[in-house]
Amino acid sequence: MSDLLAFVLSGLVSGALYALLATGLVLSYSASGLFNFAHGATAYLCALAFYELHSGLGWPAVPTALLLVCVVSPLLGWGLDRLMFRKLARVGETAQIVATIGLLVALPALGLWIVELLDDAGVPVKPAENQFGLPGIGPSPAKNWQLMDGVGIDSDQLITWVATAAVALGLWILMRHTTLGLRLRAAVDNRSLVELRGMSADRLSTVAWMLSSGLAGLAGVLATPLLGLSAHDFTLFLFVSATAAVLGRFASVPLAFAGGLGLGVLQNLVAGYASFAEGITGFRTAVPFLILFAGLLLLTRRQRTAGTAAVDAPPVDYLAGRSWMRTWGPWAAAAVLLAVAFYTVTTPFWSGILAQGLALSLVFVSFTVVTGLGAMVSLAQATFVTGAALVAGLLMSHGWPFIAAALVGTCVAALLGALVALPALRLGGRTLALATLALAFLADQVLFQIGWLRNGDTGWEIPRPVLGPVDLSDDRAMGVAMVVLCAAAVAALAALRNSPSGRAMLAVRSAPAAAMASGVSVVRTKLLLFTLSAGLAGFGGVMYASYNTRITATDFTAMTGLIWLAVVVAAGVRRPQFAVVAGLVYAIVPHVVADHVTSSVHLPVVLFGLAGLALANDPDGYCAALSVRRHRRRSAKPAQPWAVPEATVPAPRPAPAQGTPPVLELRGLHAGYDGAPVLHGVDLTVRPGEIVALLGPNGAGKSTTCRTAAGLLAPLAGQVYVAGRDATREGPVRRARAGVLLAPEGRGIFPALTIEENLTLHLPDKHAREAVYARFAGLAARRGVVAGALSGGEQQLLALAPLLQEPPRVLIADEPSLGLAPRIVDEVFGLLTELRDAGTGLLLVEEKATEILGVADTVAYLDRGRVAWCGPRADVRADRLTEAYLGLAATDEEEGVRP
Amino acid sequence: MSRSIRAITATVAALLLATACNSAATGNSGNSPDGKGSPARGVTDKAIKVGGIVSMTTASGYSKKDTDLGAKARFDRANAEGGINGRKIDYLGAEDDGQDPARNLAAARKLVQQDKVFAIAPMSSVTFSGADFLQKQQVPTFGWGTIPSFCGPSYMYGMTGCLVPMPGGTISQQWPEGLKQVTHGSRGKTVAILANDNDAGTFAIRTYKQSFASAGYKVTFAKSSVPATSVPSDWSAYTKEILRSNGGKAPDIVVSVMQTPYNIGLFTAVKRTGYKGVLTDPTDYDPGLLAKSATKEALDGVHVLLTFAPFETKSADMDRFKADIKKASGGKDVPLNMHMMTGYMSADLFLAIAKKAGRDLTVASFQKAADGFSDTGTMVGDRSLPGGQKQAFGCGALVQLRNGAYHVSSPFKCYEPIPFK
Repeated sequence: MSDLLAFVLSGLVSGALYALLATGLVLSYSASGLFNFAHGATAYLCALAFYELHSGLGWPAVPTALLLVCVVSPLLGWGLDRLMFRKLARVGETAQIVATIGLLVALPALGLWIVELLDDAGVPVKPAENQFGLPGIGPSPAKNWQLMDGVGIDSDQLITWVATAAVALGLWILMRHTTLGLRLRAAVDNRSLVELRGMSADRLSTVAWMLSSGLAGLAGVLATPLLGLSAHDFTLFLFVSATAAVLGRFASVPLAFAGGLGLGVLQNLVAGYASFAEGITGFRTAVPFLILFAGLLLLTRRQRTAGTAAVDAPPVDYLAGRSWMRTWGPWAAAAVLLAVAFYTVTTPFWSGILAQGLALSLVFVSFTVVTGLGAMVSLAQATFVTGAALVAGLLMSHGWPFIAAALVGTCVAALLGALVALPALRLGGRTLALATLALAFLADQVLFQIGWLRNGDTGWEIPRPVLGPVDLSDDRAMGVAMVVLCAAAVAALAALRNSPSGRAMLAVRSAPAAAMASGVSVVRTKLLLFTLSAGLAGFGGVMYASYNTRITATDFTAMTGLIWLAVVVAAGVRRPQFAVVAGLVYAIVPHVVADHVTSSVHLPVVLFGLAGLALANDPDGYCAALSVRRHRRRSAKPAQPWAVPEATVPAPRPAPAQGTPPVLELRGLHAGYDGAPVLHGVDLTVRPGEIVALLGPNGAGKSTTCRTAAGLLAPLAGQVYVAGRDATREGPVRRARAGVLLAPEGRGIFPALTIEENLTLHLPDKHAREAVYARFAGLAARRGVVAGALSGGEQQLLALAPLLQEPPRVLIADEPSLGLAPRIVDEVFGLLTELRDAGTGLLLVEEKATEILGVADTVAYLDRGRVAWCGPRADVRADRLTEAYLGLAATDEEEGVRP
Repeated sequence: MSRSIRAITATVAALLLATACNSAATGNSGNSPDGKGSPARGVTDKAIKVGGIVSMTTASGYSKKDTDLGAKARFDRANAEGGINGRKIDYLGAEDDGQDPARNLAAARKLVQQDKVFAIAPMSSVTFSGADFLQKQQVPTFGWGTIPSFCGPSYMYGMTGCLVPMPGGTISQQWPEGLKQVTHGSRGKTVAILANDNDAGTFAIRTYKQSFASAGYKVTFAKSSVPATSVPSDWSAYTKEILRSNGGKAPDIVVSVMQTPYNIGLFTAVKRTGYKGVLTDPTDYDPGLLAKSATKEALDGVHVLLTFAPFETKSADMDRFKADIKKASGGKDVPLNMHMMTGYMSADLFLAIAKKAGRDLTVASFQKAADGFSDTGTMVGDRSLPGGQKQAFGCGALVQLRNGAYHVSSPFKCYEPIPFK
């Protein structure tokens, strides 16, 4: 029994650290929607700073720790958010993952580089290498108290517990009992609605990043005695604590916190009682990753369409319509030149480096399949490489010829790929990435520890192949062979992309649901992609190992796979030829930098990591950056001609001014989405105390008008005036603060917050809330219920009720009656009329024209991005209405319907 | 599409043909080392070019960068004494491989193909993927023989021999034999051995179980069960098992074959239970550990195995080593560590063989001199080749950390190895 107690007590120590890290992960995820792989690196950076300041410069422990946790790390979080994460929140998930992987290596290198610089400047810093038994905040060596036989705690453990408990309490108070906490939770729930309510989501995300970073800093300082100064250990620790974040579904701070504590205890219990697994080398080492993988499988809710990045806009196809020669000519020429160079200009050293880069390119091309074509982030590619090469080496040691061994190795890698894919396919995005990472670690720690497979540290010899007269043991011949293989791989992938199955893959990537509806099996397609990619990685791995002439089990670890992904995505993962460029750059640049740029080892790593910053601007990678920009500039030109028809086709003008100045005025508004124009010059005026109904068929641009008016979408041309002031350049936050509110399509509420909290966001004043409750007894009775549990009608009432207390200047309501029962619709329209009577100007978009005509003062028909007719309700004729819905309004002009 | 496939096929065929012609025409000459003819690669009338490969910056915070300093110190002295057979040593310094296999191979290629070194000394890392390349290019390489590549290949020389026991080879006995001094013989004494849960740990358990048993100890516990990637925050699960392994009682000796952070945790936990027996490990001989109160306390009383003469030894060699290190680090008194010794003695072995090879230095003459080379009484004991390419020199000492200083508990001595079953 005392055993069990001891396991639980001490398990809570690592548990507390897991909890701190997991909480930080959840906060940063909710702030920017990205899984921060660099979270452990932030912790390391603080541990390093604490060590240098405390042990090196002799600063007192507790003030130093407070300074780091409360000031320095939040500042770091602030800086990273401003520089990087704010932009990354708007690009695809792959770019986000990769940018944080870049930071994962850059931050520790940055810290070490600063230490190096300080040392050169004569500051008495201490070397950061080979440091063990570092002091924490408490006494060093730690004081120990024996509670009972076999159960003891020491001062470091006690400090960790107390600090963690204090943080838990502080976070609870912050999140549950402060306005800031309420806003943070609202931002997690629905970021864009927060903006529409006039709160800056960017500022909230900065706060979340600062908090998250501070927690990482605290974990770093507390973990110093345990983990020392190993950036690698901190990152491993982070991956384990990701399990707890998964438990909290990346959204719930308390769940993640509890999960962290439980994880530490569970891990300790398994380590203490896992004697059954003694025969399996590596099992105990792998326990945290087993828990992570199991957690991901069991705790991840099945998504509507499995295995796909949530938002991943297709890249600009700047090659569309170009001839074969223009598309492939430069690449083919480059390949031939490279091949010729091997036998003419390159020195033996550079031949070797180029051959190495090309061999690595074969592995890199596999990323184009799984991530480029499949939009799945696989962090297990290094596992396939090691697996294939080990099997090939094993077979060759039994006398198999190279080709046969390579083929079997490739098949084994493909099989491994299918095995990884099967459980992982039901996951998507970052959970898939984490699951493949967990499997990669499991493979490193269990599979590749099998003695007969790895052959100790010796590994297997993989001699370079000799095919007839071609002897690849010459680096130049190896290089040319690699050029040929890379060209073949690129050509095959390009052909695959243009084939029916390739189109199916792209379909699954961009719209899984639609692909399913068209009879494409999503699961089979994804499985195929994973298998193909694993096989390709395996084949590349055998070739790379044969360049090295040997494979050992530790040559390519899971962490190597992480770096590889970053290198490929930085170059561009959409086209296989970019992967070849990535391989060459990865092999060549370090030598060039070392020879010509800097002798510091850390600076190039910092620069590499900061390439993630570039991804925020060019999510399609540096290879395509120029072409994409040129293409964008060229395709931006046709925007000009839109303006011309506006001048020639006279748009009907709204009803003449009725005295009062308008609160919202749209003038000649042009807007659209990424090259697809929707609005072609919309003019609308909303006056105080007026309801303007905007009618029109599907696709006429009603919602786009709303979004542009609310500032969610920046117009391409034209102006938006709020109470006579030009507000065209303002975003949703400033518009909301100026009194323009948008009730978006669907429900404008925060489903995870309670009714009371939803109201509080709009009405901080308690009396105002009580007034709402007094009027809506239905809400009053359920004020502690989360809003997501309400019926659609109740949700709409909840969205509108607080507005009655403090009527906004303008309310833009996009389909307020959508999906509501007729009785509720009446109630909703009643509320809207009340708002008008209170002086609010309303712009209502509706499909149900008949009902809205009962309340509207002015009616505008929108047709194909233009206001086709606008006038008082009294002038509306039924036939005109019908025509407007059938999209025939343009013919009205000939009949002279203008008032 | 067919047009592109045709174009690609044609290009591929042309390239393959070119490769084949070239390969057939030039054979392997582009790669053939210069060592066969004269002048030898990296050797001029006045100098011998030597480079090194060392892991200096790593993500794990473990660095062997002082290996470079050790080698420099030894080469500096050789040059101050007039060089080797009239040639100075042109030591280029060590390339940093960052414990990355790809960088290790690239460093080897750079030193050989770009810098054209005659030999590599030292090579000290956890990975040695450049080994096959160096062997093929016939580059004599000297380093710390903890990697299998130092066991067998004819151009690889471990500075204390080959430290990886090979089936059919031998196990060196300096650890259990040295401990006999501490425990006053091995009769009736019990041993518990703990290692990491990975292949290397399993292999270590297999080796030391046999090693201690054949020295007369009774091994009551030998497991590789400690997670290898992260140091446990709690050691109670392991200490309980170990301290009950001797029929419910604690064993006389607890042997750890793990790295320093693990040893700190394990030994602290064992001592907190009131254990009074002998604690020993092979890694914690680092005077840097004495600088911190936490490590000083955690490792107090521990007997550490080393395979070279302890810095505490009084001898002319040791005094000269200390003077050389001080000189190489610009006259500063730097704390000594084993990496300096690795670099120093790697360089020393190279110099000893080069001296024997005589004035006519080529790779062939160097290899000829190495074959049958032997000397005695160095800081790594009695060296002999080619035996050292199959087994360790087998010498060692134990030092005990007591009251903030290392004290020799079993003097440096060479022992007979036993066959590895």
